[in-house]
Amino acid sequence: MPPRITSIQHPDLAFPRVETPAQIACREWYEAHGRELYGYLRFQLTSPDLAEDLTAEVFLRALCHIESFNSALGTPRAWLFRIAQNALRDHRRQARRRVSLPITSFRDLEHQAPSMEERLLWEEEVARLLGAVALLPAADQEIIGLCYGSDLSPAEAGDILGLTGSAARTRLWRALRRLRKVLAE
Amino acid sequence: MSRPDHEDQLPEVLRATDALLRRIRFQPRQSLEPELAGRLVRSEKPARVGVTAWRQWWPAGLVAGLAVGFLALLLILHRASTIDRCCYDLDGGGAVDDGVLVVAERDGRIRRLSVYEDRDRSETFTAADIIRLTRAGVPEPEQSIPPGFTTIRRCCQDLDGGGPADDVIMTVATPPDRVLAAAIYELR
Repeated sequence: MPPRITSIQHPDLAFPRVETPAQIACREWYEAHGRELYGYLRFQLTSPDLAEDLTAEVFLRALCHIESFNSALGTPRAWLFRIAQNALRDHRRQARRRVSLPITSFRDLEHQAPSMEERLLWEEEVARLLGAVALLPAADQEIIGLCYGSDLSPAEAGDILGLTGSAARTRLWRALRRLRKVLAE
Repeated sequence: MSRPDHEDQLPEVLRATDALLRRIRFQPRQSLEPELAGRLVRSEKPARVGVTAWRQWWPAGLVAGLAVGFLALLLILHRASTIDRCCYDLDGGGAVDDGVLVVAERDGRIRRLSVYEDRDRSETFTAADIIRLTRAGVPEPEQSIPPGFTTIRRCCQDLDGGGPADDVIMTVATPPDRVLAAAIYELR
């Protein structure tokens, strides 16, 4: 893929930069899978800011290690999800060492609520649901994030987690059962 | 996206939870895409997390640790140790009641050498014993050696803490109880 001039500019520079093939690939991957990855991360994080930061981190890591991507071994989507899993794990490890106050915000939540009151009720419901998801084991959060945050089928989630479709489905159902139990408490 | 394999077989009891979760949709802000594209074009480095930093620096840490360990080993090896050997006849008096107290680097230089008489028969140097001769690393020969002195050698002991019993204590004495000079040498 030949380098091409892009309109994206560094604020300090007056001339356009040449986008390398790797940068073009990462940008196109974001266009194709950015929302899925964001949803996956957002389901497991308390704020849209954190989800945005980690989504960006996934693509910066992808660009940094793009030479290790082998299309014969898997799709870019599976590779990006693995990077996202690692980024999330690193974030959780760091979060354990930091004292932080989670700020729950739903500015990124889509809704069809006709009124502000219904919208607030829906946000409360989502906060309750995601709060319950956060109490589940990491593996449960992961499969729920993939199937509902990224809207993947259990078979697709299984591809990313290295499970068969039926094993991923079983894991999802167990996670849902545990979530239901947490919600009932 | 349709998920027939999942939805068709989903247990009835989980359907409500499934439906609720499926209604949740998050949308990243529109400006994230051009912002990220700009960061990619600038080839920004990803944030360095603690684990990555540790992974990057562990070889340097290992080298530093090995260097410190090596220095510590050198210090231990060169640390002076005190060796107390008893009992021999080192003054020519006939009684096997003399001991030698050596301060030496391990298998190296002798820093101090004393010959004592084990008065209390403790077979080690105590406050009750009499020092017959003490010398430092440099020989201090007696200026006026009286007639009738005798040279006594005792082989082979480990007198420098090096491990092998390859050291000899040699004394020049005038019997029965005077030690004029003493030296330790190693057999090669």
